[in-house]
Amino acid sequence: MPNPMPNTPKIALRRYLANAKDVARTPVTVTADPAVTVSTNVAAPQPTDALEDWLVGGDSAVTTVTIPAHYTGQAVVLTGAAYAGGIVHVIVEAGATVALEERWRTSGEHLGIWVVLDVAADATVNWLTYDAMTSTTALVKRTANLAAHATLNWTTAGFTQASGATLIAANLIGTGAKATVNVGVLAAGKQHVGYVTAMTNDGRQTVGHINQRGVITGHAHLIFNGIGHIIHGARGSDNQQENRVLMLSPHARGDANPILLIDENDVTAGHAASVTRVDERQLYYLMSRGLREDTAKRLVIRGFLEAGLAEITDPALKAELFQTIDETLVNADA
Amino acid sequence: MTTLEITDLHVKVKAEPTHPEILRGVNLVVHTGEIHALMGPNGNGKSTLAETIMGNPAYEVTQGDIRIDGQSLLDMPVDARARLGLFLGMQYPAEIAGVTNAEFIRAAINARRADDDQVPIMQFLKELDATMATLEMPEDMADRYLNQGFSGGEKKRNEILQLMMIKPHFALLDEIDSGLDIDALRIVSKGVNSLRGPEFGSLIITHYQRLLDYIVPDFVHVMKDGEIIETGGADLAKELEKTGYEHLKGGVGNA
Repeated sequence: MPNPMPNTPKIALRRYLANAKDVARTPVTVTADPAVTVSTNVAAPQPTDALEDWLVGGDSAVTTVTIPAHYTGQAVVLTGAAYAGGIVHVIVEAGATVALEERWRTSGEHLGIWVVLDVAADATVNWLTYDAMTSTTALVKRTANLAAHATLNWTTAGFTQASGATLIAANLIGTGAKATVNVGVLAAGKQHVGYVTAMTNDGRQTVGHINQRGVITGHAHLIFNGIGHIIHGARGSDNQQENRVLMLSPHARGDANPILLIDENDVTAGHAASVTRVDERQLYYLMSRGLREDTAKRLVIRGFLEAGLAEITDPALKAELFQTIDETLVNADA
Repeated sequence: MTTLEITDLHVKVKAEPTHPEILRGVNLVVHTGEIHALMGPNGNGKSTLAETIMGNPAYEVTQGDIRIDGQSLLDMPVDARARLGLFLGMQYPAEIAGVTNAEFIRAAINARRADDDQVPIMQFLKELDATMATLEMPEDMADRYLNQGFSGGEKKRNEILQLMMIKPHFALLDEIDSGLDIDALRIVSKGVNSLRGPEFGSLIITHYQRLLDYIVPDFVHVMKDGEIIETGGADLAKELEKTGYEHLKGGVGNA
């Protein structure tokens, strides 16, 4: 029996899957302490849905990165190849603390990127993903599995020029696991961009928060699906999500769809969603202090996205993101 | 000396074209070096006057003019008016997440300077620290997001912080005293008074004589039914505190 299609409301996943995936023989470059083990040419993870089938199909380099137990060393940086997607499996062993950075400035036709992160008990991961692909389409799947009392702070900066879909899943499997997923997305031109960000509370007393912010210009279309799922038995758990979209042009389209699936009583859960235009009161206030309209708009937009990107502390990356925002807006106005 | 001159000003709310005018022929001249107080009952056009001078796009001037040193402001957007020397301390300042107070104030100062003459960061921070100390604001308010989660009193203090950093020719202060306790009122007044001088003028909108004990005005005007119906010195405010506005004659509509 073939694997099922994943649940991607309002995203034409089937159409993207009809494209032939780019050949991806070049593995990601890993920069890390010697204590970190890197293996290439290993077997891909077992696919469980039609998207994962597509991602393992054809020719794809697979890289496994193992961060040893109780690691406290420097950040581990994964850099995608110039012309290839790929598959990466990151294993963080018990009690390790690691900052994980993943950067994709990859070009091509139809990219496939699949990253699986397994976080063992009591480990802490600060994960930053920076997607700046310039391919025509990109299908991206990232899954984090958390064991007992593991903690994940995850920020995704979605600044690609590609159309496509990104599926993010955080699975809180062990008791007391905690994850926060922040997503900041900029969509421009004629891009169709879909995010499905899922947070699943499986273990007891698990805490999962999703915070998605998107800005759309031009004729772009951005879809934010947030799926909060509390499994039966995950007592004392908390699942919250916020999905906010800011539209800057009359032709931009935005969707924010929160979905909550709750199969347990003794839990807390909530959601907030909005699709709005630039707040005229905010613009007036900034301009009343002498700021020109374009500067005032940039500040409002930066401020809006900042809520999704607040955890990014690297000043160089932040400057790059802000520059991309400014350039995208200048191009949109031209 | 710089002069702000309002002549026969008539104003409507743009979204309500069939409603009567809110301002019905306001005349007022404010020179730098002067403090004017604008008093009067609620809903008679005081805030509308301040917002219209500043250039709030929600209001439409149907007659009359607003000039600074003879130059009409009517065709200028709000940001150009600000750079010409106007400042409006708002009753309800907007909250903007993601933009820090310090970053915003620096951008406002730099908007008034040439691209090759931006304020040096250390000089800016030094002045910001000193000004915040004058206003007895905790240091962390520089790095907090603009007005985000500020209490009513903190917002008012933050308006005065911006005022003191930007140093405009004319400050329009719209009920800067509302919601302030007596200590905050004293601090805010100290800030405004520190700006007094030949290059600074102010139009202070208030309901309460109390503020004018701290910022003593040179002129007091009373607005009713969209017109200024009475003008006097600082004593007029004290008199109104006792008598209220009821006995004053109304505007044209009530004549």
